[in-house]
Amino acid sequence: MAKKGWIPAVTLLVTAGLALSGCSNGGNADAGNGPASSQASGSQSGDGSDKSGSEKAELTFMFRGGPDEQAAYKKTVDKFEADHPGVKVKIITTAADQYATKLKAAITGKSAPDVFYLDPGDLKAYVNGGVLLNINSYVQDNKDVDISKVWKKGVDLYRYDGQTVGQGDIYGLPKDLGPFAMGYNKTMFEKAGIPLPDKDKPYTWDEFIQVSQQLTKDTNGDGKLDQWGTGLNVTWNLQSLVWSNGADWIDASRTKVTIDEPKFAEALQLFADIQNKYKATPSIAEAQTLDTYQRWMQGQIGFFPVGPWDLSTYAKLPFDYDLIPYPAGSTGKTATWIGSLGIGVSSKTKYPEQAAALVMYLTASEEGMKMLADAKVQMPNLQDMAQTWAADTSSKPANKEEFLQIVNDYGRPLPGILTYNAEWYNLFFTDIQPVLDGKMTAADYVKQEQPKMQKLLDKAIEQEAKSKSK
Amino acid sequence: MKTNSRLYRKEAYYGYLFILPPVLGFLIFALFPALYSVYGSFTDWDGLGQMNFIGLDNFKDIFQDELFYKAMYNTLFMMIGIPIGLALALLLALGLNRRIPGTTAFRVIYYIPVISSLAAISIMWNLAYNGDFGLVNQFLDLLGIKGPNWLADKHTVKPAIMLMMIWKGLGYTMLLYLAALQSVPKDYYEAAELDGANAFHRLRHITWPMVKPVTFFVVVTGIIGGSQVFTEVNIMTSTGGPEYGSATVVFYVWQKAFGNLQMGYASAMTVILGLFIFIVTLVQFRLDKSSDIHE
Repeated sequence: MAKKGWIPAVTLLVTAGLALSGCSNGGNADAGNGPASSQASGSQSGDGSDKSGSEKAELTFMFRGGPDEQAAYKKTVDKFEADHPGVKVKIITTAADQYATKLKAAITGKSAPDVFYLDPGDLKAYVNGGVLLNINSYVQDNKDVDISKVWKKGVDLYRYDGQTVGQGDIYGLPKDLGPFAMGYNKTMFEKAGIPLPDKDKPYTWDEFIQVSQQLTKDTNGDGKLDQWGTGLNVTWNLQSLVWSNGADWIDASRTKVTIDEPKFAEALQLFADIQNKYKATPSIAEAQTLDTYQRWMQGQIGFFPVGPWDLSTYAKLPFDYDLIPYPAGSTGKTATWIGSLGIGVSSKTKYPEQAAALVMYLTASEEGMKMLADAKVQMPNLQDMAQTWAADTSSKPANKEEFLQIVNDYGRPLPGILTYNAEWYNLFFTDIQPVLDGKMTAADYVKQEQPKMQKLLDKAIEQEAKSKSK
Repeated sequence: MKTNSRLYRKEAYYGYLFILPPVLGFLIFALFPALYSVYGSFTDWDGLGQMNFIGLDNFKDIFQDELFYKAMYNTLFMMIGIPIGLALALLLALGLNRRIPGTTAFRVIYYIPVISSLAAISIMWNLAYNGDFGLVNQFLDLLGIKGPNWLADKHTVKPAIMLMMIWKGLGYTMLLYLAALQSVPKDYYEAAELDGANAFHRLRHITWPMVKPVTFFVVVTGIIGGSQVFTEVNIMTSTGGPEYGSATVVFYVWQKAFGNLQMGYASAMTVILGLFIFIVTLVQFRLDKSSDIHE
């Protein structure tokens, strides 16, 4: 009897153990006493890095990207190695959706890669937590790189003085900037006999809806729609409507959620109405962009967003397309966001100088940037190079200039990256489906959602204060 | 009996050596992280810097956290799939236990999902559930039914994921039942038939009690596994589904820990989940024991 009771007891212990550890496998195993020693060696090697000429400095570089992008970066890293004989770079790539988890697990386990991609939204946490190395002096001292040539808006995303992002020392450099422009199917417009949109004067909302409705039709007479005005995704396209209407998710002090303002509700309502009231998008409950993305590529969608990362894929589109500003709301001014991904150096690296050199090679050097731009995986980071890139009207889209205008003029960062974490901002999109389905008005939604989001924002602010005091 | 002879000592030495790797593995990869996460649950750990002890604050917050309750509800809801899967698996096993041609082929067909990668299967079902061109809705179209946009509707997203999990686990449970069925002595059935028992009686009074250990095993492991569902949800609804309709507890833990830098809070949730599993399993073992005595 006593023997029998043993087995379930052990089983219980094991299963409970497994259940708990299932989520905390993030490399805790070596978190016990490893960090103290590795930290010490990391700080000591600051002055020893000059001696490392005799032995090879081996760096690890962790990044993500599509197949084209990975190939382009690998090639550029090879070139870096050829130019820097003392350095060997070990590349670690992951699938895009697993990158954040793997990186954070590596950081928690005190085994962060020497050089890695970072989301600008994590900058404050990484600096306060002592994860990122201050590379300001390396950037200033590098003779081959002139940081003033790189987009200011891009570099500022990775400056932090302990209080405000955008000021102070550099903790990373932008891998690229991703201005999110609006595109339109030129061939479809010409076939429908609709005058082409002006590339310098944005549509009003009314004009946009009117044109979208005109484009939505049954072209082969089988009684089913097979062409639509647009097909937007709320997560990536609502910003443009909200901002151009003079509203925002958060106030200037970044402490108050402001979605309950009427201007905000108006923009959100319009977004839902394009689908439900004006019927200018494919089928209802259409939240999965996969469909509209595929339809755009098959030439069934009139207006669709275009980022610089799309260009290599869109070069093969069977129709002509071009870029225009997003339609403007009550402010009369167009608006959109600029995405970015940075490259930073771990504070625990043994070779800070070489690691910083790699970052600069990939983000700010003529040679590196030329290789990456030639591979068509991004817009060049260097302003003069970007001018030349945009002026080339021989490749689609002709109006690449729009990308530069977004960066120089009307692009903004996404609201979620402005705060310590993006939980409050993400909640907005988690709960939004009833509005998109037309089961709830935008006005009711923002009223109901504001307090919930405010609570999470307060928590993020509290968390930030704590991380600073450490 | 004295065991301090050289031979005994040597044997014991080798014995311990043999069990050392799994024991070490358990200590390093399961027990230590588990204890560490229990400790972490009482701190404001962000996964990057220091851990400050904050007592029960995390737990207090969790019990007021709407999303935690939602995630818990979703997790429990999807466990409805366990009895459904069980019943289907038993039916299939009964069917395949007969001497009809082609059983091997069927066994293979039902077992393929079990050995397939969960991530690959999730991607496949993701496409199948697509509201516009998905296989599921195309099939329903043939029957004249207009299917919903499965994964974008808060009412259908849980049943949709549940269905996939049943499909994935069916072959495994079926195989266990099949093995159990084949070890039921034939004379029981013969005796029952002589006494005039019909097919239902035989199922109810012979087969069901005889396969009970398997049922028990499947229910226990099913609840333990069902409490930890993550991959399917993460791949099929990467934001936790419409109105968080498919987010499980582990999914929420993952979001908190790796998305929002709240490792301490996330650890506290895993502690609650671990306790939940512990208690449920304990109750099950008690129930199983008491029903054994009555038989």
